[in-house]
Amino acid sequence: MPKSRALGADTFVLHGIVLAIVIVAEAIGVLRIPIGIAAIVLLPMLYAFAMGIAINPNITRATQRYLTPRVQKFAGGMITIAITPFVAKFGTTVGPQIDAIIEAGPALILQEIGNLGTIVIAFPVAVYLLGMGRETVGAVYSIDREPNLALIAEKYGLDSPEGAGVMGVYATGTLIGTFIFAIMPTLIHATGMFDIRALAMSCGVGSGSMLAACTGALTTAVPEQKDLILGLAGASNVLTYATGLYVGLFIALPLTQWLFRKARPELY
Amino acid sequence: MANTENLTLEIESVDERKANVGETALLLLIACVIGTIANYVATGVGALEAFPGMAILFACSVAGLLMARFVPLALPSVAWVSLFAIVITIPGFPGSAWVVEQATKINFLSLATPALAYGGLALSAKEFAIARKSGWKIVIVAICVMLGTYLGSVVIADLTLRLFS
Repeated sequence: MPKSRALGADTFVLHGIVLAIVIVAEAIGVLRIPIGIAAIVLLPMLYAFAMGIAINPNITRATQRYLTPRVQKFAGGMITIAITPFVAKFGTTVGPQIDAIIEAGPALILQEIGNLGTIVIAFPVAVYLLGMGRETVGAVYSIDREPNLALIAEKYGLDSPEGAGVMGVYATGTLIGTFIFAIMPTLIHATGMFDIRALAMSCGVGSGSMLAACTGALTTAVPEQKDLILGLAGASNVLTYATGLYVGLFIALPLTQWLFRKARPELY
Repeated sequence: MANTENLTLEIESVDERKANVGETALLLLIACVIGTIANYVATGVGALEAFPGMAILFACSVAGLLMARFVPLALPSVAWVSLFAIVITIPGFPGSAWVVEQATKINFLSLATPALAYGGLALSAKEFAIARKSGWKIVIVAICVMLGTYLGSVVIADLTLRLFS
């Protein structure tokens, strides 16, 4: 590994490209596209991601000279670093809302279990509707972000069917997750069935970009509740950082395995 | 499951204990500079006005990194970062009102934009290949997974809120 990978000329080209993308994305700003009673909210981060993909050397040959696999790997590391100030900013919205958060405490804790809802919806679809095999277990047991991927890698190896499942959902989530989390909350909010606090705290699924898209959409839809939305979502996200791995390891994965053995005993 | 082995993602378990804090702090600084410019374009808040808020976020980030590096507790650095930011903004903590006022000048959405730009550029040939090879079934399952995770939490949270108030 080169001694100072942080300060190479090639990584500066990367930061320069990112800066240019960010300026264009922020200049376009938040757009609301009304559809019936709801609205689809388009956020700068979505344009930034789309522009990044468009310039990605695997899509555009022209950038292969500058964005070598080494620089791309470095860019992968920069995601975690660039999201850290965002995580800190989210923390600063939690403190001032501490009373509202304590008041919603029971809901905040119990909704962590709600993350198992992925099994309720995705398991029957995968097994009965799509007839998928053991990939199902890796695919549906969690939201399949990095910590969940690591858990499957450790238990089954990523070259197993379960590993293929978790990687498939991981890669798909990486490609469309931000978009889904930008439109889903506003559509569910438009039904008028749920408390805005419930919609807000459910945004904390343990992924920075999904949290950002989800809260961005909700605060655009209900701007007068912005502080409350950010505070609750931030608190819930911290809770997921702390509990997510254990819920996956001790509840979600064993439960999914058990369900799968019941549904498809012939595959074991 | 033909040829999954050459389509395996390399997940390098990033051991935060081995992370070079100095280098990471430098990269964090670059991210904060890009974030400040993003914030300016989005809100018109200039670099000078945004500086104290950004410095606070930077300090929380570095403090979180250091904790993850040196404290023998299996907490990821993002958890530490959040913890610091929460504690210093709780009413009653010395200077919390000022910290909150400064942090409000930073638009949270603008801080996510650079990360997504890096994300789009970082997607490797393998990730595209996995998404393509997994096919339409996985896309449907992935949407159900996201919908289920979110909706499951919404339903439980909503019921609990009704029950307790």
